[in-house]
Amino acid sequence: MENFDVVVIGAGPGGYPAAIRAAQLGAKVALVERENLGGTCLNVGCIPTKALIACADAFAHLRDAAKLGVKATNISADFGAMMAHKQGVVTQLRKGVGALLAGNGVKVFQGQAAFEAHDQIVIEHRTSNTEQPTSNTRIKAGKFIIATGSTSVMPGFLPKHARVVESRSFLDLQQLPASMIVMGGGYIGCELACLAAALGVKVTVVELLEDVLMLLDNDVRREVKKHMEQKLGMRILTGKPLENISAEAGGISAEVGGEKLSAELLLVAVGRKPVTDGLELERAGLKTNERGFIPVDEFNRTAVASIYAIGDVNGGMQLAHAATSQAMIAAESACGKKPHKNETLIPGVIFTMPEVAIVGLTEADAKKQGRAIKTGRFPFAALGRALAAGLPEGFVKLIADAGSDQLLGAQAVGAHATDLIAPATLAIRAELTAAELGRTVHAHPTFGEIWMEAAHALHGECIHAAPRKKA
Amino acid sequence: MPSPIAMPKPGQFTEECTIVKWLKKEGDAVAKGDILFEIETDKANMEVESFFEGTLLKILTPEGGTVPVQAVVAWVGQPGEAIPATPPAATPKPAAAPAVSGQKTEVRSQKPAVSASQAAPVSAPVLQHSSTPALQSSRRLRISPRAKALAERSVINPAPIRGTGPGGRIVEKDVLAYLESKGYAQLKITPTAKEMAAAEKLDLLTIRGTGEAGKITVDDIKRAVAEKPKAMSKMRQVIAQRLTQSFSSTPHFFVTVSVDMTDLVAYRATLKAKNLPYSVTDFIAMAVTLCLKEFPAVNSSTDGKSIWWHSKVNLGLAVSLESGLVVPVVRDADDLTLQELHDTSAALFEKARNGKLLPDEMSGSTFTISNMGMLNVENFTAIINPGEAAILAVSSTTKQAVVKNDQIVVRQMMKITLSSDHQVIDGALAAQFVNALKAKLEDVTLWKKLV
Repeated sequence: MENFDVVVIGAGPGGYPAAIRAAQLGAKVALVERENLGGTCLNVGCIPTKALIACADAFAHLRDAAKLGVKATNISADFGAMMAHKQGVVTQLRKGVGALLAGNGVKVFQGQAAFEAHDQIVIEHRTSNTEQPTSNTRIKAGKFIIATGSTSVMPGFLPKHARVVESRSFLDLQQLPASMIVMGGGYIGCELACLAAALGVKVTVVELLEDVLMLLDNDVRREVKKHMEQKLGMRILTGKPLENISAEAGGISAEVGGEKLSAELLLVAVGRKPVTDGLELERAGLKTNERGFIPVDEFNRTAVASIYAIGDVNGGMQLAHAATSQAMIAAESACGKKPHKNETLIPGVIFTMPEVAIVGLTEADAKKQGRAIKTGRFPFAALGRALAAGLPEGFVKLIADAGSDQLLGAQAVGAHATDLIAPATLAIRAELTAAELGRTVHAHPTFGEIWMEAAHALHGECIHAAPRKKA
Repeated sequence: MPSPIAMPKPGQFTEECTIVKWLKKEGDAVAKGDILFEIETDKANMEVESFFEGTLLKILTPEGGTVPVQAVVAWVGQPGEAIPATPPAATPKPAAAPAVSGQKTEVRSQKPAVSASQAAPVSAPVLQHSSTPALQSSRRLRISPRAKALAERSVINPAPIRGTGPGGRIVEKDVLAYLESKGYAQLKITPTAKEMAAAEKLDLLTIRGTGEAGKITVDDIKRAVAEKPKAMSKMRQVIAQRLTQSFSSTPHFFVTVSVDMTDLVAYRATLKAKNLPYSVTDFIAMAVTLCLKEFPAVNSSTDGKSIWWHSKVNLGLAVSLESGLVVPVVRDADDLTLQELHDTSAALFEKARNGKLLPDEMSGSTFTISNMGMLNVENFTAIINPGEAAILAVSSTTKQAVVKNDQIVVRQMMKITLSSDHQVIDGALAAQFVNALKAKLEDVTLWKKLV
């Protein structure tokens, strides 16, 4: 039986970086994956959606280019070619991960891992998902890192039908439907809704909660919704459940608050649940909590000292970059380095149209905590570069402590919002004050200047915005 | 002619008071009965109301100021009236001081106040105490403006710096040398943390950074702020001083006995059933009073040269409140029946809980009982209240396996510990006293006579 220092189960954005980091630190490392290297993120999540969104963006820009003097006629969206682009990106990145693992000397096992003891797993190899295992391999390790991720929740009351899909199957569609109902107005639902709508699909988003994208502050939500409804022409129905759903060969029909809806496709995006099936955790001495997650401490250690759990499966923030950050911490700890605690400042990016990004404290959080804050907003419409680029939509917002001026949160909605969140995250983590961000020289003319302007706005000292009228 | 507002004399032995808060400001209209300010004595906080109508013309004693009783703290009159240049003389002789009611201000109500720590109540003879808070160094730092600005910019405390300027004055190069010797340049701190440290007037050189590579973060500053020394209330300072004085100057010794409360507890239950709500404290207070009459040396005071045997028993009873402890005094307890003792102490406890005790109801005790029975303790010792010869610490009554008639039986046992001043009480006397107390508490026939 082969013996490893560290075995990582799951090769997603948590697992493969953990394996590489452990190998960098000199450990003998194995990585077990039952599907594809790269996990959900690379194969059926972040990357393929962004590839398709880039296609939709290019299409939308071309359509809107006339206002910049570029005239294009007869533009059309070739969904098949878009899917080919997506597949090309995914294949290239997947190969890249394989090369990185090989280059770092990580031994990759293809198959389903199951614990036999706290220090031993058996890997069952199958040639396809349905078959019985054709062979198996037993390996032992001093430390295990579980990074098995999550999968879409499909509520039991939904009909099982080819017209009812979750995000993964949606990304494998051969052609776009003419119309689509999106059940769930979270970030996955809204991203895919925007993508489809930009390519001409008639989209209706149905959200049970009072609003879509509830993690954002109200003003930011409003800006995204305005674009989704007015520019992309979709309907957003909130505060009511999607009921009486039936799927037939002719299409989907359902009701929202008594109103009948019909469409060619139903996309279900109501959340994600942890994946632990087949792991036989109890044989390692582990138990999942009532929601199915593997509980961990702030160093990602499970109840068994030699086993770590990172990423979506541990019930923290379900984001690829949170998993990668935890991967570093778990791998370093597993290799005997002094562990750091998990980072708590995790930015979130949403590739809706317009893009949205968020990091740290929101105004709503501050209100709940009764914390005294100051906010500074600055619109892209007042930024030279954004106007020049023909992208005046949206704004950014900074949130700082009213007493110490410490930057606590930032949100951005508009062009490049998802890239713009990086400097704000850095500033918050470095415990910068808003005044210092304001004093930092930002190159002109750039989109990035907007943070400096927002920092000035926070103190009511904006150069490029008229002072607010005093009441 | 404006009328002077004088600091009232809230207690017989109170010689000075501190104004903690002004509820009116200069220029405010004042009606009769309006609360002007709040004062703090060593025993309590209370509100002082005006006996005059008009406008608050001038405040002479600001918040935080301490003045002798009867000193003029403000003037009330008609707007525009001239204020007499010299206020009437302060500090009259305490003996000549008229009663509170004879003055132009009146103590109206009293706020709940911490009066003592676990056992030693604050009472009778008023001690001198410093009015300058211990936190502030009285020595003025000799430092040049440039050096001071540099210290402030660097967020450090310049006090430990050795000055090389004229007369030992700290000059800029001293600060620079100090910063270098302390490795200030290596100090890492986040911008917000530095901002907060400056606002809180912390010394960065004393803060340990827990961020990456020892960087000082906001969390470290929050911790340092939480650890900053806070001024104790004046009352607390007086308590500290009195208890320290008592415990360091009085030779304490401690004698403990276990009292079998089984019969008395059972008897109390039968009384309770008859709607006679005597408490264990009542029985102990009565037993102590009876014993003090038998052992007058325990009910005494000394200055180390003379001893005063008190002819009356003024019993201090420590009461635990949410805000701390107060010690109301049952005067002439030796004149009271058990019923009267119960009623008097119940009334005092009620006042204590509502913060209505007057200073004189918290002073003049000759012996004190500290009962922690309801706090689930096995045994403890109390610190003698200055001016008294002993204090009794009463612990919880719990079921214990005890030997009785050579049999192990379950009995309700309570430990009592007498702290005695060895200047006037010897071991044998203390032993006799606690055993007399034990005998009384265990003798249920005595209680049947007293009820």
